Amino acid sequence: MNKMEDPIVIEHLSKNYGGQVALNDLTLTVTSGLCVGYLGPNGAGKTTTIKILTDLLRATSGNAYLNGIDVIRHPEAALEGVGAVVETPEFYPQLTPKECLSYVGKIRGMSSDAIARRSHAVLEQLKLLEVTDKRTGQFSKGMKQRLAIAQALLHDPSILILDEPTSGLDPRGMVEVRGIIKELKKTDITILMSSHLLTEVQEVCDKVAIIDRGILLKYDSLENLSAGQEITLTVHTLEPVTPPEFKVIKALKSVTSVKRTENNKLIMSLSGGAKEQSKVLRGILNSGVNVVSYTPQHAAIEDVYLHLVSEGDY
Amino acid sequence: MRPNNIRQIGIVTRYELLKYLRGRRLLAIVLLTVIVSAIFLVVPPAIGSHYSKDPTEFVTNMLRFLSVLSILSATFFGADAIVSEFESKTGYFLFPNPIRKTTIFLGKFIASALVSVGAIALYYLIAVVSVQVIDGSVPANTGLSFAYSLVYLLAILAVAYLFSAVMRSSVYSLILTFFTFFLILPIVSSVSELAKFKPWFSITFASGIATDILKNPYPTDTMIATTAGRGPGVPTPGALISGAQYYPAVTVSLVVMAAYFIVAFLLAIVLARRREM
Repeated sequence: MNKMEDPIVIEHLSKNYGGQVALNDLTLTVTSGLCVGYLGPNGAGKTTTIKILTDLLRATSGNAYLNGIDVIRHPEAALEGVGAVVETPEFYPQLTPKECLSYVGKIRGMSSDAIARRSHAVLEQLKLLEVTDKRTGQFSKGMKQRLAIAQALLHDPSILILDEPTSGLDPRGMVEVRGIIKELKKTDITILMSSHLLTEVQEVCDKVAIIDRGILLKYDSLENLSAGQEITLTVHTLEPVTPPEFKVIKALKSVTSVKRTENNKLIMSLSGGAKEQSKVLRGILNSGVNVVSYTPQHAAIEDVYLHLVSEGDY
Repeated sequence: MRPNNIRQIGIVTRYELLKYLRGRRLLAIVLLTVIVSAIFLVVPPAIGSHYSKDPTEFVTNMLRFLSVLSILSATFFGADAIVSEFESKTGYFLFPNPIRKTTIFLGKFIASALVSVGAIALYYLIAVVSVQVIDGSVPANTGLSFAYSLVYLLAILAVAYLFSAVMRSSVYSLILTFFTFFLILPIVSSVSELAKFKPWFSITFASGIATDILKNPYPTDTMIATTAGRGPGVPTPGALISGAQYYPAVTVSLVVMAAYFIVAFLLAIVLARRREM
């Protein structure tokens, strides 16, 4: 039963619905302690992968292991150390958050003391303490999403599988959940997180897996993915850039193009990642230009994503 | 470390019961039982009539609603027990946990059975207390009648769970369950009887043993002969028409109900396990 050391191992996983291929020979390994972002357009196979990992769907072929245990053949054992949020789960409207957490806690074999202690902790963490004894039938979508995350964290899982965890949350809620994930990253926990929000993935994740039409297109660290990609930046300056200053900026290493759009605004493209951006900024400042803001128009990861997913060249 | 399957069944049962206790369906069934019983007790003296002095007849009359109550219980507590987890997406909360789907199914079924049995038991309790107070004695086979009614209840609950495991919509599952036992099978039984074939295979026909067992002697099948009337619409006025009055045999009926239970229950488990979210 116990096969591998990495927490999440997916081998040649395929899922067909009639004639339609949802997953096509997916192979992916998530090593311990990493937070991996799982990106792809609608219908790419992200939720299908997560549902197979959480025993909500049967794979057509292939294998999947959680903490070395085959989740397809022994799902109960495999899911013991796993907390999951799949889609936006609904809760039994007659039960309160405390009762919902108690339900899953008891299923998992937690003691009453542990359930009480951990319930309080996760409800506090997800800002649901005030509604501990309120029936979930009266909850908003955002409150249910928070409760879903709370139940996933209740038993201190070693693996967290999140399907768009900030879906349905207001901007403050999104920031709070991302903060929770960043805090969790400081522990040993391994996280697989699907998201539509590229900035969210860039902010929170260590590695990114990009999938489209059931095929894994790219799986690498954010740094490696960004390397070699052109980034477009908007630079607002205090005063208009003089021609000599413009010439200096254009000649900076990594800068591929510079355009003056308004008096105090430059649009520049440069190749490379964070290091190159930092060097270019220093170069601009050294040239005597007073910079008000220096902002990427979109994340490097977005360029990678759009390039891979739009072209479909695989 | 997760608890064993038996303990997990108990956990699921407990929370399903909690949901039922806080829901409206259990309240509706209990109210209906009380109201129907009250009608049987209040109406006769109100219209100047008397209760039957024969305890068997009294209890048999009071238990006329038994079949409907059983069907309603199976419908309310079984027909959407499985499908609702998929349709309302509560399965996303419950299923990704270290618990087998069979365990969840068994826990839910036990909870459904407990509340349904509770409703039937309440109905019998009211009948037994009433007959004891009014006629001074309880018919000898009342216990057996209760036992047979529970066999019927569990059998139709299993069929309700089968519908719930198969259907994609709670509403359709509820409708199918109710009309199968309230309309379709009784029609099949009637047509069979008209064709002078005893509908021993029909579970709704078999359920008749719950009230027939109260009668002494146990009723036997009879052939009925009657003369057709005269008047517009009668095809053969004055002709002799024969028919049959069938009564379910106890042993055969128990076997039929057990068969419905076993087949429906096992099939429901297999289909529920295979179902995907």
